Amino acid sequence: MGAATEILRAEDVFLMAKVKPSADVAEVLIIGAGASGSVAAKELAENGFQVVCLEQGPRVDNGEFWGDKPEWELMSQKRWHPNPNVRDLENDYPINTDESDVNPLMYNAVGGSTILYAAHWQRFMPSDFRVKTLDGVADDWPFTYEDLEPFYDRMDVEMGVSGLAGDPAYPPMTEFPLPPLPIGKIGMKAAEGMNKLGWHWWPGPCAIPSRPYRGRNQCVRRGTCLTGCADRAKASTDHTHWPIALENGAKLITGARVREITINDDGLADGAIYIDRAGREHRQRAQIVIVCGNGIGTPRLLLLSKSNRFPDGLANSSGLVGKNLMMHPYAAVTGHFDEPLESWLGPAGQTIQSMEFYETDASRGFVRGAKWQVMPSGGPLGMRAAYGGKPLEEAWGANLHRNTRKVFGRSFEWGIIAEDLPNEDNRVILDSALTDSDGIPSPKIIYKNSENTEKMIAFHLERVQEAMAAAGAVDMVVTPLMRDCGWHLMGTCRMGDDPKRSVVDQWGRAHDVPNLYVYDGSVFVTSSGFNPTGTITAVALRAVTHMIENKKDLKVAT
Amino acid sequence: MSTGVTDEIRGTFAAIADVLIPEAEGMPSATQVGVHEDLLDRILGLRPDLREDFIRGIKSVVGEKPHAAAERLNKEDPAALGTIGLIASAGYYITPQVRELIGYPGQENRPADPDEDPEYVTNGMLQVVIDRGPIYVPTAKR
Repeated sequence: MGAATEILRAEDVFLMAKVKPSADVAEVLIIGAGASGSVAAKELAENGFQVVCLEQGPRVDNGEFWGDKPEWELMSQKRWHPNPNVRDLENDYPINTDESDVNPLMYNAVGGSTILYAAHWQRFMPSDFRVKTLDGVADDWPFTYEDLEPFYDRMDVEMGVSGLAGDPAYPPMTEFPLPPLPIGKIGMKAAEGMNKLGWHWWPGPCAIPSRPYRGRNQCVRRGTCLTGCADRAKASTDHTHWPIALENGAKLITGARVREITINDDGLADGAIYIDRAGREHRQRAQIVIVCGNGIGTPRLLLLSKSNRFPDGLANSSGLVGKNLMMHPYAAVTGHFDEPLESWLGPAGQTIQSMEFYETDASRGFVRGAKWQVMPSGGPLGMRAAYGGKPLEEAWGANLHRNTRKVFGRSFEWGIIAEDLPNEDNRVILDSALTDSDGIPSPKIIYKNSENTEKMIAFHLERVQEAMAAAGAVDMVVTPLMRDCGWHLMGTCRMGDDPKRSVVDQWGRAHDVPNLYVYDGSVFVTSSGFNPTGTITAVALRAVTHMIENKKDLKVAT
Repeated sequence: MSTGVTDEIRGTFAAIADVLIPEAEGMPSATQVGVHEDLLDRILGLRPDLREDFIRGIKSVVGEKPHAAAERLNKEDPAALGTIGLIASAGYYITPQVRELIGYPGQENRPADPDEDPEYVTNGMLQVVIDRGPIYVPTAKR
């Protein structure tokens, strides 16, 4: 693949200096350098595997972020917006969302969406792995909370999670490596309300260091986590994992957009074809392929990889590639208070969370539940978004000043992450017309909220308003469904023991292609009501640890 | 930074910006803090994607009375008015004078002491949550 060095950018030349002498055939090819791909690359490289990773995006320098500059909010609405259709960068692929209630969000770069995530570092609850047994819906996962727990523990250390152990919403767990971040005035205000009601709350764990940690800086509470951490504090995997992977010889090729996973005569994955940023096509051969493209990018690539042997897309004999998309519909209530709360202050990040209404209670008329979290409300410009389309005198003029004085710095949000259950009608398909900048068909999302989800959101909005009132809110704005909320992309290559009802097994290995693996959120059986990156990485770490421990028995392309 | 904004465009924007953000409630108007001057060029330079809606909207109301122009845009071309309003308000809230008046220091660098015991621990607020006991549903471990 001699062309590889030709596509490397300046930063890649630097990376190449540390690369082991490489053969043409990678032992393991990882597609996607986001959360799960980063974990896999680090672990495999540290254990002597020769790893090549193809990433369609670039490396991002923290100096590119605007959080420490006055123009932060202005730039957040375009260049660093989480919706790729808004950003419209070459390293993004457009997504047809005409038939979706929710817009999928992501970032395509080394570190993937951890570049822009809020770093809420959550574990799923034990019940999340047993929804069929407990609630009679969806399916149980092929492993339990306890099976995953050691990997949650390891990921807490690798990411540098700040938090407080002892949350009664979970079984007893080990201490976090770092003390909790401050919850600020907004967290205290929200907690006071919860205590009045006798409802659960707890300081939210975040993959944001409360003191310097493994080369990253202490969080300065700038509150701009969702648009990239200018202070190099937040745990994005370009910082937590890639330096170690590269030091151990992993080869990272940026600007490499994969259009197809190739298959040999034995039906094994033997590499990938990718396009560099000059539009040239390359082939990377490999013995094993791991796809880490997120819950939309991964099924897109498998559906693109059609062949005579796999006419419906790679690893798709079940017909489930792309199906069961879950994106966590997000609702929120913003409360306004008659006292200053410094509500621009981070982390953002979360301050406190609640699982009071997380577990199923059949009397509510729906199953499963949601996690709530308190987040700051940002700067004065972001608050203006709610005024679009309103009469001039209401949105502007003297009213602008009155509204700013009333709510700015005196507001916070209780957000609701609603568990959406798997539904085959919610899916990723290939669009018939839309393409990315390389002419590769784009994904189309078909996604509708279920009746269960709508009842769940309605119930939680009622309770959150009670929580806000108890905290002393003098006014509230209710957002029943935030359209730009699809951060959590899950379920589209679900795992399971039955090849007819799942795409991969519990180790991420495709039932149809024994040397092809999926490690990202696509493999989730259900979505939980939690931010999933902690679980995505723990599942990936569990899977790659199994791969390493069973190296001699791995099926490989030759 | 030259963004090619003519005096006519700039003047029309200034007038509409003052309709949207007038001197009132103890706050200065948009033009009193200079949103139509260098700030306008700075914003269009940083966000060239705003230029098309901005120019279209402003050109369509050149010569009209500012309040009537803003009202018409809000009804007939809300995308343009939204962009004009975004540029005006972005420039406005960037200025140190306005930030001081609304009590906004910007996104601050204000680290906390990680060794300080949280108030919710020392005052017992969290203990009442702990005292209520576990709330999760246990499951079989394997």
